[in-house]
Amino acid sequence: MNKQAGKKAIELKGVSFCYQGGNRAIDLVDFHVANGEFAAVLAPNGSGKTTLLKLLVKLLIPHEGEIYLNGTDIDEFSKNDLFQRIGLVLQNPNDQLFAATVEEDVAFGPRNLGLTDNEVEERVDRALHYVGAEKLRERAIHQLSFGEQKRVSLAGVLAMHPSVLVLDEPTAGLDPSGEARMLRLLHRLNKDHDITIVMATHSVDMLPLFVDRIYVLKNGFVLKEGAPQVVFNDRESVDSASLRLPYISQFFDELKIHDGVPVNGLPLTIREARLIIMELIPPECITRTSRKSRF
Amino acid sequence: MKHGFESFSDVFAFRDNRFSRIDPRLKLGGTIVAMLAVLLSDSIILPSGSFMICTGMMLWLKIPCRLVLAKFAFPLLMAGMIGLLKTFLSGENVLFAIQIGTWQLTAAREGAAEGILIASRVLGAVSLMLLFSMVTPMHKILLALRWARVPQTWVETAMLMYRYIFVLIDQTENVFSSQRMRLGYLGMRRSLASLGALAGRVIERSLNQASRTHQAMSTRGYNGTIPVGKLPPLASRDVLAFTFFFITVTFAFLWLEGYLL
Repeated sequence: MNKQAGKKAIELKGVSFCYQGGNRAIDLVDFHVANGEFAAVLAPNGSGKTTLLKLLVKLLIPHEGEIYLNGTDIDEFSKNDLFQRIGLVLQNPNDQLFAATVEEDVAFGPRNLGLTDNEVEERVDRALHYVGAEKLRERAIHQLSFGEQKRVSLAGVLAMHPSVLVLDEPTAGLDPSGEARMLRLLHRLNKDHDITIVMATHSVDMLPLFVDRIYVLKNGFVLKEGAPQVVFNDRESVDSASLRLPYISQFFDELKIHDGVPVNGLPLTIREARLIIMELIPPECITRTSRKSRF
Repeated sequence: MKHGFESFSDVFAFRDNRFSRIDPRLKLGGTIVAMLAVLLSDSIILPSGSFMICTGMMLWLKIPCRLVLAKFAFPLLMAGMIGLLKTFLSGENVLFAIQIGTWQLTAAREGAAEGILIASRVLGAVSLMLLFSMVTPMHKILLALRWARVPQTWVETAMLMYRYIFVLIDQTENVFSSQRMRLGYLGMRRSLASLGALAGRVIERSLNQASRTHQAMSTRGYNGTIPVGKLPPLASRDVLAFTFFFITVTFAFLWLEGYLL
């Protein structure tokens, strides 16, 4: 277990950022993620998600406020030092993958750190292993599928050994199984390797399965924050941020409102929904099988 | 646009075969030596021999005939044009004459010979380059170039061009299709306007792409240079093979040019 667990890995205090032309993309945001936490930034398009993530890695400089990484102001880190602690995975893998082959691209970061050939090799091996892309090692980047490109771009950042991983819509453009695979991978990195994760996403259906904390952003400010149960139970905030509940929650919400089905709270996952349904069905109507749930 | 992608595709270079397993430095060196011999040759035997051998090898490696022809299309056109121009514009001894109205076009023997020689050099050199590119993935060519101390900036630029040409082709294809589906290429005037917009869009996207890629690279410690891997040391067997190839080509060149007589 990480000794730093529970301490703030990232903290933003009153951070604001304006683009040229006065468009205020981030407005006095207070935001923190504890070490070892898996946090999601949930927001509609154009709400400042990407801007927020870029601020975290100092690709943009805030006009107001402070950003801390493990209690230290990020301005005190040199860029090289900062990028070894916090890694950014962009939404479009084409923005990130510039080398000719997978191996060359993943090795780019470690080589920039001045590591020996053996160390670079070891980091490339490990990063590709983490994302399950060992077999893609010799392949040309442009020959990879979109899902493979996404995993390789993640490997390129993991090879820097960051303790905090920031991802911009890691599931965008993936098919449902690719989306689940990516989230399971991030969950494993978070739980098994103690990597703190902050991701911007729209995947509301999958979030409750994996994340510890959700930040709902609207027009550049934090509208709601908390555990998935807390955030999704505040229907008003979710609606006002032009988001939606997970489909399974919506279904139970409809049952509750329109059919008067007595449901306590809203389930966020299929597992929770199953348990609620099982409570509602008389035991004599149930025939049990041994098949396990995938969720 | 599909053909555009196919002519840029390097899928065959990634295939495993006898030629792709040869060290890229040897292939690069061998290609340069053979190309010099072809370009300096004053007889058509060496260039046309190189053309036939290389084309035969590509077909033997099961590279589709259609693709080989597509890759040769432009050089063949150039070679044909040069051959015709030389035939009709230089030389004194008349080979044949064509009467077009009041005009008479006269083909000269020396011009035709010179045209055929230049055309064969073009085809010989292009076929060498094509064979090399069909059996060597680009990243290995770039590593070989770095090994040969080609300036780093040049190699890095080539690397980025190679990587992003596919992205830009994709984007161009998408914009083009979207314009075509909305009848953007109906008539000359509209086509020109659409083509102009397409070109502008591609330039704008490439600039945006460059900026985003630079940001992503800087988060992985980019400091102005792209460090690349090293090729393994050359085996003495490889050096011997190269030496043998070099001697053979040099001998063939000297013999065919009459220096050994």
